[in-house]
Amino acid sequence: MNAFGHLRGLRAGRIFLWLAVVFVLCFGLMVALVVIDQQRVVEASSRLQDQTVPEIIRYQRLARNLEQLRQEGERVFAASTPQARQQAMFVVTLVASHPSVLEHREAAEAARQTERFLADVIRRSLNDERVFVASFEEWQRLSARLGILVDDVSIQGINLASKDLGDVSATMKLARIKLIAALFVVGVFLIIFMVLLRAHLIHPLQRIDRALSGLSVEQPPPAFEPSSMVEIQAVEEAIGELHASLVQNEEARLALESLANKDGLTGLMNRRHFMLTADAELQRAQRYRRPVTVGMADLDHFKNLNDTYGHAAGDTVLRAFAALMQETMRQSDLVCRYGGEEFAFVFPESGLEEATRLAERFRATCADHDIRLPDGRMVRVTLSIGLADASACALEVALKHADEALYDAKRQGRNRVVTAGELRAETGR
Amino acid sequence: MRAPAAFRVAILRSLKLPSEAVILLRSKFAALLLCMLAGSAAWYVRADEKPVRVAVLENSPPMSYRAANGELTGFSVAIIRALCEEMKANCQYSVSTLDRVVDEVAAGDIDIAAVSLLDTPERRAKVLFAKPYFRSISLWFAKPDIKPGQPGIRVAVVHSSAQERFARAKGWETVTVRTNGELAEPLSAGIAQAAIIPMSTGLGLMKRPEFQRLELVSTVMNEPELGGDASFGISKRRPDLKEQLDAALDRIKRNGVYDRINSQFLPFRIN
Repeated sequence: MNAFGHLRGLRAGRIFLWLAVVFVLCFGLMVALVVIDQQRVVEASSRLQDQTVPEIIRYQRLARNLEQLRQEGERVFAASTPQARQQAMFVVTLVASHPSVLEHREAAEAARQTERFLADVIRRSLNDERVFVASFEEWQRLSARLGILVDDVSIQGINLASKDLGDVSATMKLARIKLIAALFVVGVFLIIFMVLLRAHLIHPLQRIDRALSGLSVEQPPPAFEPSSMVEIQAVEEAIGELHASLVQNEEARLALESLANKDGLTGLMNRRHFMLTADAELQRAQRYRRPVTVGMADLDHFKNLNDTYGHAAGDTVLRAFAALMQETMRQSDLVCRYGGEEFAFVFPESGLEEATRLAERFRATCADHDIRLPDGRMVRVTLSIGLADASACALEVALKHADEALYDAKRQGRNRVVTAGELRAETGR
Repeated sequence: MRAPAAFRVAILRSLKLPSEAVILLRSKFAALLLCMLAGSAAWYVRADEKPVRVAVLENSPPMSYRAANGELTGFSVAIIRALCEEMKANCQYSVSTLDRVVDEVAAGDIDIAAVSLLDTPERRAKVLFAKPYFRSISLWFAKPDIKPGQPGIRVAVVHSSAQERFARAKGWETVTVRTNGELAEPLSAGIAQAAIIPMSTGLGLMKRPEFQRLELVSTVMNEPELGGDASFGISKRRPDLKEQLDAALDRIKRNGVYDRINSQFLPFRIN
């Protein structure tokens, strides 16, 4: 990765474009070299066909003429009549003078020597027939030399082809090496491509995939190693932004939720939210057979207070009362502004007795608490509380019982706690 | 009754004229197209369609002569036949003589002179030379004591031959005959004391007993204008034929046809 450090910040597209251009140039060069070699082979082949083969045939014809020369020489010695001898000698003369023989230095020399020798023998034979016998041995030596020359000329012709064929095979070998080199280049480029793809695209994409699937408001924003590709960097930054906006959304959602669930004046749960939460709490308690108690409270003579001090004072009292209530109640207790100056509670894990004690404590606290009004005057308010067991009935029923108990408390003189059981007991009494 | 009927037809014709004119125009266009097609087609099949007129000699053994059965044969004849076959050409053979054949080709009456022609400026001006098909030399045939250029002798040559041209240029007195086959006659008759004879003719003459009886001695003449490349002549109006003929000659030299013909008519390789 460090090796490609200097590539950091380049666009991936541009890098791959450059690589592709370099690759195409390299590969094109290789292919061109191979094509040139191929062209050379084609040329060598056509040269073999058009020039070398005719040349070989020319050598074969020369060899054939030299052999003919030798045979005519034999005929000069073997001829039975002077006419046959003259005819053979005439052919010897023609062959020895023919351009096809003259154009080959060795052949021309040998042919001229043969012609001169035979002409000399014939000239001398006019005086003495025995010349043929006397010079036959020398003729045989000459004839043998001609025979060897025939072979030499044949081989010279064949060798012309071996040169061309050698050229062809050398070129082919070179072409094969170039082809292998071209394949090697392709392979190297493929590997480079794959390594770069893996390092700069596949790995970052995998990281991005992991980051995206683990993206949540509970987790901190994903941290990325700085990527070398601008495109990847952009995606990673976008993920960071996405996380930030997720967090923002969650905050907004929570704010909205609390707005929807809280009473605007007191900050306590509102009635709707209380009904949902309390219902869930009751169901939980009833399922596990745990004690649970609900309560209703109402400020005493609140209407008088409102009339006397004004609505602003009423609101201040309600807010102070709610703050006191939250202070005094346990963390787990549910408290809500049920309506007007009426409040509702749920005491989880508490039977009527404990709930009564808690309610009583709160009632006492409240009765002793001075509330400072906006104009500086101090007031005290009392409250009446009705409690009802909720471990075996629906929330609405339990609240109705508690409300009845509250009504009873009012009737009994206010500033007191009445439980529905007592009420029923009293009623029963 | 007949005259009015004919008159009516004439009127009808005149009425029809415009449409006929259109048809005429169309048919002209079609004819033009047909001509073009036919022209291009002819270009492809010309070798098969149009006969190639070939002239050969008939008394120039062993190059070109009539066999015992009257058929034309010989080295040159066999070569041109092989070439025609190789070119897939439809060759029509006719007989000519050396003093006429070059002019016939020049006049366009003959396409190919299948005659061994040595290169001379006069011939080159009149005909195209094909690739050489063999190499020749010329020989001085005379009694041993008669040398070329000797004054007071007459030299037998074939009319219009390179040999005649050479002898004339030297200012020698000549006796001309019309064919190679007749070269021995002025010698036998004593009209000529020497002859300049191409090697192939010489080979033929040396086999004849009446020629042997003359007891002439042959000497190779080394003058370049009397030897070297011998080629067929081609009409200057058919340069395409030269290309075909040269390519065909290259092929038969490679595939062995040429050498078989060489062996058939001559004792050694003359190419």
